[in-house]
Amino acid sequence: MTVVQAALSGVLLGGLYALMAAGVSVTWGVLRIINLAHFGMILLGSYLTFELASTWEVNPLVTLAVTVPALFVLGGAAQWAFDYLRISELNSLLLTFGLLIIVVQSVSNVWSADFQRMTAAVNPYATEAVRIGRLAFPVPTLLAFAVALVVIVGAHVVLRRTFLGRALRAYAEDRPIAAAFGIDHRRIGVLLGAASGATAAIAGTLFSLGNALTPATAFEWFGTVFAVVILGGIGHLVGTLAAGVLVGLLSSVVSVVLSPATAPFVLFSAIVLALLLRPQGLFARPSR
Amino acid sequence: MLHNARRRLGAVAAVVVLLGSTVGAAACESKSEGDGGPAAASGEPIVVGSTLSLSGAFAATGAIHKIAGEAFVERLNKEGGLLGRPVKWTVRDDESDQAKVSTLYEQLITQDKVDLIIGPYATPNILSAMAVAARHKFTMPQHTAVIAPLLTYECQFPAWSIGPTPNQFVPTQLYEAVGSLPTPPKRIAILTNQNGSTDFVSYGAGNNKAGAVSITKERGLELVLEVRYPPATTDWAPIAAQVSAAKPDLVINNGLGVDPVNLLQAMKQLNYKPPMMFSLFPAPGPPLGLGATADGLLSVSIFEPNKATLDKLGAKATEIVTDFKTRATAAKLPYTVFETQAAASWNAWDILVSGVKAAGKLDQQAICDGLHSKGAETTFAGKLAFDPKQNNFWPSNQVIKQIQNGDWVTVWPKDRAAGELRGPTA
Repeated sequence: MTVVQAALSGVLLGGLYALMAAGVSVTWGVLRIINLAHFGMILLGSYLTFELASTWEVNPLVTLAVTVPALFVLGGAAQWAFDYLRISELNSLLLTFGLLIIVVQSVSNVWSADFQRMTAAVNPYATEAVRIGRLAFPVPTLLAFAVALVVIVGAHVVLRRTFLGRALRAYAEDRPIAAAFGIDHRRIGVLLGAASGATAAIAGTLFSLGNALTPATAFEWFGTVFAVVILGGIGHLVGTLAAGVLVGLLSSVVSVVLSPATAPFVLFSAIVLALLLRPQGLFARPSR
Repeated sequence: MLHNARRRLGAVAAVVVLLGSTVGAAACESKSEGDGGPAAASGEPIVVGSTLSLSGAFAATGAIHKIAGEAFVERLNKEGGLLGRPVKWTVRDDESDQAKVSTLYEQLITQDKVDLIIGPYATPNILSAMAVAARHKFTMPQHTAVIAPLLTYECQFPAWSIGPTPNQFVPTQLYEAVGSLPTPPKRIAILTNQNGSTDFVSYGAGNNKAGAVSITKERGLELVLEVRYPPATTDWAPIAAQVSAAKPDLVINNGLGVDPVNLLQAMKQLNYKPPMMFSLFPAPGPPLGLGATADGLLSVSIFEPNKATLDKLGAKATEIVTDFKTRATAAKLPYTVFETQAAASWNAWDILVSGVKAAGKLDQQAICDGLHSKGAETTFAGKLAFDPKQNNFWPSNQVIKQIQNGDWVTVWPKDRAAGELRGPTA
């Protein structure tokens, strides 16, 4: 039963990983921007939720009404700047890492480097769980999984079924040809950056429901989130969700069956092996 | 309330503005000088040099040591300074980076020619600074490094002591405390963060492999679960599920920071709370935010400003504690109570002052000898005696504390407790 419970918790946590990874994956795959500042936006989203909920005593989920528009604008503005400055894929790594450091330091200056956590009085979700039989579905990760499912499947449908989605995919495939067909890459790039910022806001809010915050938390997400992005296939949203679930599941089960100390070793060994066999990611088709 | 909320929201809005303006803050240098001025002190100031982690991983606690140090220096200058001269503290940001600690202490001693030094924060940084101090034969009181076997320089003086063998002291003291309960725990789970200091308390190090795990077995207690987890653990559900299944009477979490909060939260999600739980070095504020979920949690402390303790120490201690709270609130620290970290900081400064007074001059060897021969008078730990054979680690004054009705209360040993140890919670 312990293994089953751990596996369930791991699957749900995988939803949060996927939500964090979705923005990184799609901006990397479509816009060729490896956006490390995305981790800073998740951090901002989580601290804004903490601040609004703690100061105004509003339900943390209601803070999405502020965090999503705020980071939608910030994400769009950042992408506009990347495009204006003609940032290459490799340079984006360096530039956005710098931006991430600035965000982390700014958060430290405003909220201090100490642990911040919403109290039980303003955040009733942290210790709650939905129970079915002997299985417990922790509310923070259950919400994250449900939201990840809706956001990622919704975004996948948009990418597959709408003109905007087809334009984005065409732009990702071949920029000059897409431009020749009248696709305004600046506009769709800004829109995609903004949407990515919105997913960062959601991920940040949901992260803050179940975790204490420190500015350095942003760096702790790197390994797992990049593993999810690469395993899922860069730019492949449904693959990101599947990879998130797989990473969460594998990590949790290994923690119980072997030990938590072994989990990172097994997880990243499995990822290396998977990428040797399928360099394009487990859930993406090989490029022709 | 509304005004306060607006002010805080203004600060939040400033984040976006700050994006372009705070890069330089990561490498700042901070200087502190008692603004009250040397009331009776005169002449050239005595300069004390140190680094603190004002940014990076250790910054949260580094901020506590900065506030405590500034308050100490200000108070010292108001009381006449040191050797009749005012004291100035030059503190630099080591960015929580061991390599920078070495370089900065080298600069403080050889280029800035500081008169005295005091240690940085966090064991790895203290070890780096100690190597530089030893090379230049400087006396170095240090705030928080407690792994006695590693601190071999005869002129480093610890301000927080868990004795020469913390790996035995901590579990033994805990078992003595819970052994005093009407129904002592018999089934034990030990969860260990693989960080150096916490792993040391569970498993020992070098030739001394004693620790919580071996002591549990020696006492004939049943070790029902033993888990080691990496410092960067984010998924607590598997550990919580294992604890819940093992049904221990006592969970010993030799962990750090918010580990106990994450564990208690994950266990609560499984509708489980262990009858008793101990956590070694938690951040003190976050467990209090958990409310009833964390009630009864045990930990260690060298000082808690409980009324009974302050009454014993007298008015000066109360003034210091109150002043610290004011300063910490102004600095926007989330937890503003003067407790273990701040007390360790104050002890370190008291040791430095005692050494200089014992020497009667700023000669480093004389200060070191003075501390060995005369010890140190401290506000929060009383009279300390330093034995070089024990790496200067003095008999520990560390106590067990417990969350009771939303506050940390010292509960063991009884002669230094402010409240009664409470048994298993429902």
